[in-house]
Amino acid sequence: MIRIAFAGKGGAGKSSISGSFARLLSRRGGPVLAVDSDPLPGMAYSLGIAVDDHPTPDNVVVEGPEGGPKWVLRPGLDAAGFIDTYASTGPDDVRYLQFGNTWGHFQTLQRGQHAWSQVVREMDPAAWNVVGDLPGGTRQAMFGWAKYADVLAVVTEPTPKSLHVARRLLNITKAEWAPSQVVVVANRVDEDEDIERISNALDRPVIGSVPNDPAVVEADKLALSPLDHRPGPFVEAIEQLVGVVESTYDMDDQRATKGKP
Amino acid sequence: MKIAVVGKGGSGKTSVSGVLARSFARSGHNVIGLDCDTNPNLGLSLGVGDLETERLLSLRDQIDEGEQQHAHTWDDILDAYGTDAPDGVRLTVVNRIDNPEPD
Repeated sequence: MIRIAFAGKGGAGKSSISGSFARLLSRRGGPVLAVDSDPLPGMAYSLGIAVDDHPTPDNVVVEGPEGGPKWVLRPGLDAAGFIDTYASTGPDDVRYLQFGNTWGHFQTLQRGQHAWSQVVREMDPAAWNVVGDLPGGTRQAMFGWAKYADVLAVVTEPTPKSLHVARRLLNITKAEWAPSQVVVVANRVDEDEDIERISNALDRPVIGSVPNDPAVVEADKLALSPLDHRPGPFVEAIEQLVGVVESTYDMDDQRATKGKP
Repeated sequence: MKIAVVGKGGSGKTSVSGVLARSFARSGHNVIGLDCDTNPNLGLSLGVGDLETERLLSLRDQIDEGEQQHAHTWDDILDAYGTDAPDGVRLTVVNRIDNPEPD
């Protein structure tokens, strides 16, 4: 099973890439759970899932024990049951756990976020491939929100601003809890020099390069997943990326030897 | 006049803020560029360059490390922690997250 999370600068293309990645991975046959920790549901668009359709009732959580998390899943509801009942189902059978907006006002939002974290932490790693999308910037990544992942893919464009964020994100490798693989995905590249620019600036393997594709811009304007609009080099590149991750970054063996959950 | 620029990631907040700041400065205003992003990049669009943007520690970092006392006035803060950008804009950064938190 693959457990990958995408991070990067706002607008770098995390959601477009992660949503398309999740669907293409699912087409290859494995069960895929898409986990979006961005309170703004960019990933839903690229998965092709309606954004506001699936609120989760307040009573999925109860107040947690003294000294523990503020909210915990209610007795009798475990991670598997939660996914069964509350994860949306999208095209290509991807299941989707969303973190924020569909959960309503602030207090409800907080409950939903605690539920989300618990489900992602406690779900059976043998049951699902996990594809995650983080909000733009460094905050969530540095606070450990991608701990569920074996692979952290930092998405960057070949621009100084985007690379600046990517460089900061790569500092995550200093953390004891960092995902075991931290890699780079180049997005909106037009020419070989763009890829060079990225690999020169970042001291990590570039495992995918996604070309600038007008079809993605069109899909964005139509609120469609890139997979539900016309095919093009973007979709081809994500297909390749899925292949690379499957063949190189399936970390089940290491997890077994390290006993890491 | 105080202007805050907000919007979705990648929609162009930093570029718009940088150009607004320099345009106001060119037409004769005293301008402070205040980067409130925890991932501050305003320096890049103001034109202070990659290295200086990276060097510009946040107010929080400097106080935490004990390198600076709490400043007494806004002017002190800008003197101590700011940098000069083109067209006379003075840039300062509120906070930044560069490193992972311990578990």
